[in-house]
Amino acid sequence: MQHEAHTHGIDMTALGRERQGLNMANEQVAIDVPGLNLFYGDKQALFDVQMTIPKKRVTAFIGPSGCGKSTLLRTFNRMNDLVDGCRIEGEINLDGHNIYRKGEDVAELRRRVGMVFQKPNPFPKSIYENVVYGLRIQGINQKRVLDEAVEWSLKNAALWDEVKDRLHDSALGLSGGQQQRLIIARTVAVQPEVLLLDEPCSALDPISTLKVEELIYELKSKYTIVIVTHNMQQAARVSDYTAFMYMGKLIEFGDTDTLFTNPAKKQTEDYITGRYG
Amino acid sequence: MNDLASETMTATSKPLGLDFNTPALQRKRRIRALKDRCARWAVSLGGMAVLGAITLIFFYLGYVVLPMFQGASIEPRKPVQVAWLNEAGAPLLLALEEQNQVAMRLDQKGQVQFFDAKQMQALSKVQLPLPADAQITSVAQDQPGSNRIALGLSNGQVLVFQHAYKITYPNDIKTITPSVEYPFGDAPIVLDSQGRELDHLALSLNSGTLMLAGSTGIELHVLSLGREENLMTGEVTLSEERIALPQIAEPIKALIIDPRQMWMYVVNGRATADVFDLRSKTLNGRYKLLADAKLEVSNATPLLGGISLLIGDSRGGIGQWFMVRQDDGKASLTAIRSFQMADSPIVQIIPEERRKGFFALDAKGNLGIFHSTAHRTLLVEPVAEGQALATLSPRANRMLVESDGQLQRLIIDNPHPEISWSSLWGKVWYENYDAPSHVWQSTSASTDTEPKLSLAPLAFGTLKAAFYAMLLAAPLAIAAALYTAYFMAPVLRRKIKPVIELMEALPTVILGFFAGLFLAPYVEGHLPGIFSLLIFTPIGILLAGYLWSRLPESIRLSVPDGWESVLLIPMILLVGYVSLAMSGHLENWLFDGNMRLWLSNDLGIAFDQRNALVVGLAMGFAVIPTIFSIAEDAVFSVPKSLTFGSLALGATPWQTLTRVVILTASPGIFSAVMIGMGRAVGETMIVLMATGNTAIMDMNIFEGLRTLAANVAVEMPESEVGGTHYRVLFLSALVLLGFTFVMNTLAEVVRQRLRVKYASL
Repeated sequence: MQHEAHTHGIDMTALGRERQGLNMANEQVAIDVPGLNLFYGDKQALFDVQMTIPKKRVTAFIGPSGCGKSTLLRTFNRMNDLVDGCRIEGEINLDGHNIYRKGEDVAELRRRVGMVFQKPNPFPKSIYENVVYGLRIQGINQKRVLDEAVEWSLKNAALWDEVKDRLHDSALGLSGGQQQRLIIARTVAVQPEVLLLDEPCSALDPISTLKVEELIYELKSKYTIVIVTHNMQQAARVSDYTAFMYMGKLIEFGDTDTLFTNPAKKQTEDYITGRYG
Repeated sequence: MNDLASETMTATSKPLGLDFNTPALQRKRRIRALKDRCARWAVSLGGMAVLGAITLIFFYLGYVVLPMFQGASIEPRKPVQVAWLNEAGAPLLLALEEQNQVAMRLDQKGQVQFFDAKQMQALSKVQLPLPADAQITSVAQDQPGSNRIALGLSNGQVLVFQHAYKITYPNDIKTITPSVEYPFGDAPIVLDSQGRELDHLALSLNSGTLMLAGSTGIELHVLSLGREENLMTGEVTLSEERIALPQIAEPIKALIIDPRQMWMYVVNGRATADVFDLRSKTLNGRYKLLADAKLEVSNATPLLGGISLLIGDSRGGIGQWFMVRQDDGKASLTAIRSFQMADSPIVQIIPEERRKGFFALDAKGNLGIFHSTAHRTLLVEPVAEGQALATLSPRANRMLVESDGQLQRLIIDNPHPEISWSSLWGKVWYENYDAPSHVWQSTSASTDTEPKLSLAPLAFGTLKAAFYAMLLAAPLAIAAALYTAYFMAPVLRRKIKPVIELMEALPTVILGFFAGLFLAPYVEGHLPGIFSLLIFTPIGILLAGYLWSRLPESIRLSVPDGWESVLLIPMILLVGYVSLAMSGHLENWLFDGNMRLWLSNDLGIAFDQRNALVVGLAMGFAVIPTIFSIAEDAVFSVPKSLTFGSLALGATPWQTLTRVVILTASPGIFSAVMIGMGRAVGETMIVLMATGNTAIMDMNIFEGLRTLAANVAVEMPESEVGGTHYRVLFLSALVLLGFTFVMNTLAEVVRQRLRVKYASL
């Protein structure tokens, strides 16, 4: 990875440099989870998770497979509602407003909390139509507005230069990395407040991974970003804060440098040093 | 990507020490490879066999169908010069009997010579009882096949006789004995009382009444003779009536009386026909037969059945004419179609005795074989040098030609003249019809009426039935598939889907039986109910949905996601019950108590009990499972990642369905519809039992139809193997196969292309 980074001409060490001196106490709160239990049928998947996601920062969730990090991520835009038999106890506040209250407009919530999945999932439409999809479903159809949004979003997703001449070609013709950046463009086009990234690079090759990581770094000035990753180096590279989860419990949550260099819990240390995976 | 987990997995145990190259394992590997090869061969063989079978079916159908489109051929035998011919007079008429064994030749001297039709040896000779000093000046033949001949004499008298052939089996040898009979006595009948020479003659016998017409110059003489036979004594009494007709100004060229003795056609002048109505004894009208002033009528002969006239002209053209009823109810002689042979005058036209075909000879000895209805010229070939006289056998498979003192036999192969592209698909002007039309009427009461073999109404009926079935089935099945695959609770879906697919196993004969015997009369009696059902069910469902959304959340949340549809069942049952229950009241209130009569009297819409509506309902029911099953699979296999992607962008489930799911599943839904359509087109039992099988071309939902499939099923048992009808049925099977083949191929091609398009999903 390091070798490839050099060939690509990106100084990886620069990525995390800005975050020195971060302190959770000084951050504005984007998402507040005062205490959350989640069940799949009878099986409990999350146990009394308490955390606050800071605004306009990158928060990474790490942990072994099946620890509940993706599940927790999906509760932030209620994608778990689509899972049969999923039940939630507790609440989640987005800007001080419980997203699990009765009568919540789930579709509007999902516009405000965008999500990028593990595998790129472009619609079988043109690049242009993929980007404006979220706008069209909100009822925005003026060509000028859409054109502007496409350019803005693709530039934000660092894809504009690669696709500007073939906006009306099928999105399915793009490479995996381009597709994933298209998904990010599509997500940012609806002006979300929070971006949820669920292992966004796990299906990508190293160079594409790097581009997406670079993009995340760019985007954090505008959005609150929560990223789930299996790759601890990635978490260390792109995030400001890191949460370590194990067996459905939040074990440790703090700024990334501290968590990786001086973990407070034994389980965290065991995991980041590779005792179990 | 670095995976820490793999780094921690260090191999601590010693190697397993398995040897994969022991003889036993090597042998197993060989067996495995052999099995693999066998399986591959078996699968390829199976696939090829299926393809081969389908190709063979196509080929077989084509093999049966193709002979219909081949022309006719003739095989001339060597001309024979026989001694007896030299002594006989100039030929007036030739004839062949049914078995093609005995031929007859009538000459100018009034001799009837029977001879062997193969070797041309003389058999027996009869001298007709002509009065002394009287010459034969004209000859007339009655209907083809009647063997009745009238001779016009120079003294204004007419002799009527017929040639007959008696088959006996002395010593088990088939012997044909020809004879001459005089059904009206062997004494000549006086037609012109002034004893002038009869230039032209016509005769017609219809239920005992003999009608004779003769011309002397421009004068017409028509005589009607009633013949009554006393049953007790066998004594024959003749009653005589002279019919006076308006006179003609131009010299007469030909006289024809139609077999029903309704019209008499008098061809006169260069090319004019005067048509007399024999019932009212008036002139119906004068018709110009040829537009070109230089042309002349050279021959006029009635076609089999006597409805059509064939008019041959001096430049090789032949026109078919018959009386057509005009809008004002008056009949007028109308040009129907025309044929062109060569450029010499047509001298003889010989109609076939069993079909609407005819043969023509021109002055240069060319023979033409034509078929009137199919508008087909099957053959034009020279058979003689110069003027000739010919006759055609009753089965139209032999000809006898006399020219230049020689007799020649021709063997004719002309099995299917009545089929042509235009007679199968185009509008054909059939005899007795007011206008050209598409008609399927494969068999008729007598050979005088032609079989009408237009496939157009059958193809139309097939598509009409499929259209109405799809009108019901496609929206229902697709909507059901969308709901089941996308909204329904998985538990419910696992039960609903197999149940609907089970409907496909229902034998269609049961559906047809039910549709024909129960549904058709029920629909007829509850028409307003059926229509209000079709209108109020969707409205009721929408209303139920609206009311549901107005209910307090606590009630709505008590029904689990995807189970809402179950609540619709009572609603639909209620709407159904109310619609059908109020049918009678609606009928009384809006349609004076009978919607059926109201439709036909007030709106002028014809109504059959077994109609397209019943077929639409019954066949729609049969097609729903096919469409549902394939469409449901297509919708269900839309990747969840796409649905989630759309929902995560803030789309509602409905928006996701309409903008992403349907789009992605569209190839599957399209092929579901096409395969359902193919099924509806090929469906037989339901349409056979519920349509009334009326071969009409009318989109009216209240009228019946006849489909290609049902037609084959109905008529196959009664068609003669190898006959034209049989081959036309095979053609309709081929057309049907073509329909379903095209539809399924189209469905598959679209599916494949879109599969490539969405391959990376």
